Amino acid sequence: MQQTGIRRRAKRWLRDSLPFWLLLPTILILLAVQVYPALYTVWLSFQERNPAGWEFVGGANFRRLFGMGLFGESIGHTTVFLLGYAGLTLVIGFVIALLLNRKLRFSGLYITLLFIPWVIADIIVGIAFRLLVVPDYGLLSGILQNPALFPPNGLSILTAVPPRPWIGDIPFPPAPAMVYLILASAWRALPFVTLLILAAMQTIPSELVESSRIDGANPRQVIRFIIIPLILPTLVVALFSLTLSGMNGVGMVFSLTGGGPGSSTEVLSYMLYSIGWRQLEFGRAAALALLIAAVNWLLIGGTLRLTRVEERSH
Amino acid sequence: MPRISRKRMESLLVNAALIAICLFALVPIATTLLISFKGERDIVRNPPNILPCDTPTSAFDWRECRWALEGYERVLAAKPSEGGLFPLALTGNIVRVYIPNSFMYALTTSLLVVLLAGMAGYAFSRYRFRGHRALLVSILAITAVPLLTNLLALYQIGATLRKAQIPIHDDRIFLIVVYIGFFLPLSVWIAKGFFDAIPRDLDEAALIDGCSPFGALMRIIIPLAFPGLMAVFLLTFVNVWNEFIAGYLLVAKNEFKPAMFGLYEFLGQNIINLQVVAAACILIALPIVILFIFARRAFFSAMIEGAVKG
Repeated sequence: MQQTGIRRRAKRWLRDSLPFWLLLPTILILLAVQVYPALYTVWLSFQERNPAGWEFVGGANFRRLFGMGLFGESIGHTTVFLLGYAGLTLVIGFVIALLLNRKLRFSGLYITLLFIPWVIADIIVGIAFRLLVVPDYGLLSGILQNPALFPPNGLSILTAVPPRPWIGDIPFPPAPAMVYLILASAWRALPFVTLLILAAMQTIPSELVESSRIDGANPRQVIRFIIIPLILPTLVVALFSLTLSGMNGVGMVFSLTGGGPGSSTEVLSYMLYSIGWRQLEFGRAAALALLIAAVNWLLIGGTLRLTRVEERSH
Repeated sequence: MPRISRKRMESLLVNAALIAICLFALVPIATTLLISFKGERDIVRNPPNILPCDTPTSAFDWRECRWALEGYERVLAAKPSEGGLFPLALTGNIVRVYIPNSFMYALTTSLLVVLLAGMAGYAFSRYRFRGHRALLVSILAITAVPLLTNLLALYQIGATLRKAQIPIHDDRIFLIVVYIGFFLPLSVWIAKGFFDAIPRDLDEAALIDGCSPFGALMRIIIPLAFPGLMAVFLLTFVNVWNEFIAGYLLVAKNEFKPAMFGLYEFLGQNIINLQVVAAACILIALPIVILFIFARRAFFSAMIEGAVKG
């Protein structure tokens, strides 16, 4: 009698604590792979490597990072890249989503074809775009390197030096390689953004659009006053997500430009790699990683707040 | 009458625009395919020609096309080419070493992610406990954390573990754990969404009919959640297959590195032989593209579950 009582109690305890056991492995792995390394990076940013081991150097890593000429330049490159990448992807994604957001016989086919870039690795996309503009032999080089079209000497995207900046040290207009990097990155990000916007558009009740049409709104007014305001939260979430992926994506830079020519495509994420693994300055790289992580967390916080607002409004 | 024709006109225009966009979107893929089937003498030409089909007399003659498998042969070659500029060129290694590595990493990671995300997603969907919401929001926040900023610390941890010489530990296990840690949060979120879509009445009905809780899970929940877990598996598989920077930096020995690293190294050694690089790209991307085309519904449902709600 007593034994069955114990067994029943054990069974109940097991059942009540089941969610804990189900979640435990996930929590442990996330603590080990996400939380601990983040704290470790904070510690690392105040250390410097000596032959004897690590030494606490206070804010020296940050001071030296800010003192690097390349740091300011890289912030400029990153800003130019992010503006071009996020702007281009959002605008084109919005237009494609508008086109897809109606009953079409082949919309399944279009979506499948449009989404193939989404599953291709950034390294491969970088190589595919690079093959097109390899000096002399790339398929586009015949057009780009034609002096008649691009005076005076033709244009070699991977080697052309950036034009003189218009204002101070701000790297604008960007080097041809940067424009090309933006195009390649936007090409890969486009499917994701298109689907995000399309999914939001499909939640708009069609009666709303029809009744405004009947009231005399032209298509442009429907887009301007009905569609955009209703999907605005999604557009901002897409913008944040693009900024996150643009800030932290590094594969495309590796395989397309390698940061060059010169330092004209050296964005912050690539700079983190060069300081850390080329110069082996882990403390200084950790300082840079913290700055990037701070921006990441601002974007993540914004996304969370926005999606919660969305939840509440539904 | 004129209204119908206007509608038809509009739909025609939209279709035309979409076809143009699709073609444009496929240009980089098509050109890579094209390059991969060219021979060396059609690669090293200035100015370049798009199709290898010109003859001395005419610009295009389809009977004279010189399609070649040279690029693929050199990627698949069992031995490095000895006369090449780089005698130790990795030709062959991509297929023999790097692709199997990637397959192993992607398969192991995604199986474990499905298991863990299934467990956690089920707990979040079916139980209410203290800290439920806080934990769920933390996991949602971590979903968006990119690998890059944690990589320095992970690299140092990996080096420490390597020095400690733990008997069964090697870099491959470390990399798999890192991959799980980075692809699990999104998967937990996706799995929870799929479990939420299964009505609770179903498991309660099974319990009333005399099913044990475990039996209800195995007979009712798992079969219904299978498409969702499959979507998690496919998404994780593609993400790991396509990952570059962690596989490159966290693994010390080249023989354990994944295909994306092989491709990156290959690029440095073969930049003149465009057809070989293109063939390697096609060989590595093709399995994933085929997988995507056949299982696109699973991909889209996973993505909408994860991206739109997250």
